[in-house]
Amino acid sequence: MRLSVAAAISHGRLYRRLGSGPRSRVDLLRNLVTALVRHERLEAPWARADEMRGYAERLIDYAKRGDTDERAMRMANFWLTEKDLIHKLFKVLAPRFQPHPGSYTRLLQIPSRDGTDRAKMAVIELKGNPYPPLIRPRRDSEKTLLNQLLKGYREDSRREAAPRLPEGTPL
Amino acid sequence: MRNELFTKEKERQLSLYPRIEKIEVKYTGKPHPGSLLIMNKALSTPYNCAMHLSEWHCKKSVLALVDGEVWDMYRPLTKSCEIQFLTFKDEDPEEVNKAYWRSCAMIMACVLKRAFKDEYSVNLVKAPEVPVISGAFCYDVILDNRLNDWQPTKDNFNSLTKDASKLIYKDLPFETLQVEAKVAREMFQHNKYKIEMIEQKASRNMEGIVTLHRFGDFVDVSEGPHIPRTSFCFQYEITAAHNLQTNQPELIRRFQGVSLPVHLRAHHTVWHKLLERSKWLVTEEKIVEAAAESLEEKGGTEEEKTLSI
Repeated sequence: MRLSVAAAISHGRLYRRLGSGPRSRVDLLRNLVTALVRHERLEAPWARADEMRGYAERLIDYAKRGDTDERAMRMANFWLTEKDLIHKLFKVLAPRFQPHPGSYTRLLQIPSRDGTDRAKMAVIELKGNPYPPLIRPRRDSEKTLLNQLLKGYREDSRREAAPRLPEGTPL
Repeated sequence: MRNELFTKEKERQLSLYPRIEKIEVKYTGKPHPGSLLIMNKALSTPYNCAMHLSEWHCKKSVLALVDGEVWDMYRPLTKSCEIQFLTFKDEDPEEVNKAYWRSCAMIMACVLKRAFKDEYSVNLVKAPEVPVISGAFCYDVILDNRLNDWQPTKDNFNSLTKDASKLIYKDLPFETLQVEAKVAREMFQHNKYKIEMIEQKASRNMEGIVTLHRFGDFVDVSEGPHIPRTSFCFQYEITAAHNLQTNQPELIRRFQGVSLPVHLRAHHTVWHKLLERSKWLVTEEKIVEAAAESLEEKGGTEEEKTLSI
């Protein structure tokens, strides 16, 4: 049991301290969420983007409930400061992410900011955005050794599984 | 005996160039195309060129493409040329795969040669050129007459695999030597199958030169280039031995195995499935049949399409 709280230790604290106080933190995150919904790809300090990610995904989960839901409408009204984006959230983003069960955003780290603070920067984007992709996952070619061995294995098991015709039957 | 002849021949070929002559090698590859390297004639190898370029090149490159011809990494360069490196993860690593299969077969041959007691003779026949998709590399061996009824058990294969792992851990380089046919014949005088192979190769080559490869103490003839070092193999297992049916009176046994390089390691579940598959006999006719079957299947589907129209 915790008998005393040492001053500078913050083990296990999940919510970061951003801006100048809790009200300022929520306003900062709200602005970031609004910008993400408007532009669908955002470059920001990594800590802010990471903090904002959870709020953005929960907002989309609320939007999936539909705009008739009173709670969802109030959430969208609070979190999106520009009110034309509420329409975009319910009519564009919610149907886009309907088939997915979660993880609607992608967070990728970027080289540190050029200014004196050398802050750790990140790009946060909604999946399915219209821009060109940030990273292209490069798969191994079909003809590498491992892929050839696996291909042979697959073909053998297919040949075993396929019903064998007796020889001499006309095709 | 073969080892000493090999070393003597290598020293003799080195002594042909008492003074160092320089050659210009142009690198035409991805990171810095067009870079000019000045290397020594008959002394520097493509591996030395890779050392000039970067550590990545040294670790990853398996074969070198010298003027469009596939070369070993440790084979000395003889004239000014253009060089490119081939790795396991290229767009078309067919040559690399073949070289890897050949090297694994040679390691297996070395292990088999040393596995039995001195009183039992082991005659290595050859390493058939099997494509990678068949699932296993093989080596044909003729064992002593007294061992005709012996079937290797799982423990025997385990111990053979352990010997192979010891060799791989020693990280021996594969040395190449271009040798005249008569020197090669002198080296392999006791093995008639190797003599046949040397004759075939010498007749194909215009000057009658045969390529020999050596790692550690073991010297062998093979079809083409090999990987640079034994440490390139990561997972290595000798899986099965089958008796081949031929017209000859002696019993030819085909030992089979699977291996994966360090760059393409597999999870143990996948590895065990590949092991199971490699235990089946690999024959050259089966591969031709399989190719014919796949062509037939494609032809069949085309017929169906035309019928539906």
